[in-house]
Amino acid sequence: MAIDINNVLKTLGIEEVNLGVSTGQKWHETKGAVTSSLSPADGKEIAKIKNATIDDYEMVVKKAQEAFKEWRLVPAPERGEIVRQIGLALREYKDELGALVSYEMGKIFQEGLGEVQEMIDICDFAVGQSRLINGVSLQSERREHRLFEQYQPLGIVGIVTSFNFPVAVWAWNSALAAIAGDCVIWKPSSKTPLTAVATQRIINKVLADNNVPEGVFNLIVAKSSVMGDNFLADKRIPLLSVTGSTAVGQRVGGIVGKRLGKTILELGGNNAVIITPDADIKMAIASTVFGTVGTAGQRCTSTRRIIIHESVYDQVRDSMVNAYKSVATKIGNPLDEKSLVGPLIDIHSVNNFRNSVEEVQKEGGKILFGGEIIEGKGFESGNFVMPCIAEAENHYKIVQEETFAPIVYLIKYSGNIDKAIAINNDVPQGLSSCVFTLNMREAEKFVSAVGSDCGIANVNVGTSGAEIGGAFGGEKDTGGGRESGSDSWKVYMRRQTSTFNHSEELPLAQGIKFDF
Amino acid sequence: MKIDKEITIEDLVDEFPFSVNFLSKKGIKCIACGEPIWGTLEEVCIEKKFSQEEIQEFVTELNDLIKN
Repeated sequence: MAIDINNVLKTLGIEEVNLGVSTGQKWHETKGAVTSSLSPADGKEIAKIKNATIDDYEMVVKKAQEAFKEWRLVPAPERGEIVRQIGLALREYKDELGALVSYEMGKIFQEGLGEVQEMIDICDFAVGQSRLINGVSLQSERREHRLFEQYQPLGIVGIVTSFNFPVAVWAWNSALAAIAGDCVIWKPSSKTPLTAVATQRIINKVLADNNVPEGVFNLIVAKSSVMGDNFLADKRIPLLSVTGSTAVGQRVGGIVGKRLGKTILELGGNNAVIITPDADIKMAIASTVFGTVGTAGQRCTSTRRIIIHESVYDQVRDSMVNAYKSVATKIGNPLDEKSLVGPLIDIHSVNNFRNSVEEVQKEGGKILFGGEIIEGKGFESGNFVMPCIAEAENHYKIVQEETFAPIVYLIKYSGNIDKAIAINNDVPQGLSSCVFTLNMREAEKFVSAVGSDCGIANVNVGTSGAEIGGAFGGEKDTGGGRESGSDSWKVYMRRQTSTFNHSEELPLAQGIKFDF
Repeated sequence: MKIDKEITIEDLVDEFPFSVNFLSKKGIKCIACGEPIWGTLEEVCIEKKFSQEEIQEFVTELNDLIKN
C-alpha cells in the first residue's frame, strides 16, 4: 500500500510553517530564522519551521525550572502513568510517525516503524521502572543507626538528538527522566525537526488530559548559534544527554565538565563483526548485511569492519558480495515497501562516503563492490549511494575513522580468537561488537575481561539493532554514557546517602572521640 | 552575506555548502556522523593549530569563492 505523505503530515498536525518551541501543551511564536526541512529521498521541502531565539530559550528554561518544583512532588508511579499514556498515544500514531521518520530521515518505512516501536518499548519499560525506583539499606557501624541510599529527582535534563534516530533517542531519555521527576528540554537535529514537532504534538493531548505542568516536556528547535555552548554551560541544567559525533562529544564533555555537570555521551562507533572458522556462516552473512547496509550505514551501531578468519575468508567475501548484488536491486524510496536501503541524509554525507571510498584505495585497499553514487530516475535527490565492500587493513587511517555511510571493510585474520579480538579493540571507538561462532570457548572469551572492549559485545547477534532492555552505550571515544534500559535510570537522579540516629547516644563514625 | 571567523560551522554548512569541501582540503572536518560539528570557524581552525593569519586567509578565500 502506497503511503500518502500529505495525509501523514495532516494527521500529525504538520503545517506549511510550524512553530518550533513548545513547553508541553503550549506552542510559542518565535522570531528566529525560518528554516526548511528537506526529504533526503526526493529533495523536496516537507515544511518550514520557526526556530527559537535566545529569549525563547530563556523562557523555556525558566518554565522548566518552575515545573520541576511541582513535578518532583508527583509520586513516581503517577509520573509513570503519564508515560504509559504517552506510549499509548505513540501506538495510535505509530504508522504516521514511522512514515514521517522515514521520509524526513531517509530510513526505510520498516525501520521508521521500528524506531517508533522503540519509543513505545521504552515507555513501557519506564512505566514499570516508575514503581521500582529504589535505594539500598545498609548496615551502619554505629548502634541504633540506619544507613540508606535513595534517589531524588535531578532537575532539568537537556537532550540533544541526532538525525539518524530522530525520535527514539528522545524517548529513551525523556521517558526515564520523566519518571525520575525531571523536566526535559529537547534540542532535535536541525535535519529532522518535523519528527520532533510531530512527537510533541502527539504528547500534547496526554499532557493536557493529565494537567501535567507546563515546562515538563519542552521542545526547542534552534540553531547552535542560539542553543549551543550556552546550553552546555547552563548551570540550571544538571544533566546533558548528547548523541552525536566524537568531535561534538569532546566539546560537550569539555564545557559541561568545566562546570562539573553530568553528561550522557553517546558518540561514534567503529563496530566490528568477527567471523571465526566455527561460525554459522549463513547466519553471520544475513545478520551482517543488515548491520552494514541497514539505515544506509547511518546507525551508531552499523557494522564498519568484518574481521574474518583466513580459513573462511573467501567464502564470506563471496557471500557478502552476492548479498550486496541482491541488495543493490532494492535501493530506493524509503517509503516504498520494496526498498531495503534508502538515501543518505544529504549531499555532505554522500561526499564523505565518496571520500572514504577514495581514501581506502589510496591506502592500498581494494573495492570489491559498490562505492558509486546512484543516478537516474528515482534518485534525483543525489543522496543515494551503492553500498561498498572494501578489503582493507585495520591500521589504515580511514579504517580507524567512522564513516557514517554504507562502507564496510573486510579484514583477514589468522590464528586464534585472540588475534581477532585484538583487531576488534584496536580502534579509538568502543560502541558495539560481535562474534559469530558456535565454539563455546571463543564466545566466552569474546565476552570476558580479555575480550571485546566495547559497551556492547554480542554472540551470534550483529552489531546493530539493540533492544531497549539493556543499557546502551560504549567506551573510549564513544563517550562512556549509558541510556535506555537496565539501571540507566540512575543517571537521571540525584543519589543521596542518609544516616539516621534513633539512639540516645551520639557516636561518631570510625569511633572518633570529640568531647568538649 | 559575508563569512567571518565567528560564523558557526552549522551556518557555514547551511549557507555556504561549498565550504565543507574547501575546509576538508585544509584538514578540517565540518561534518561528523552526518551532522555539522559544533563551534565557530575560528574555534575549529585553532583546534587544528592554524594561526590567526591562516584563519584570516581561509576567510578571505571563502569570501572570494562566494563572489565567483
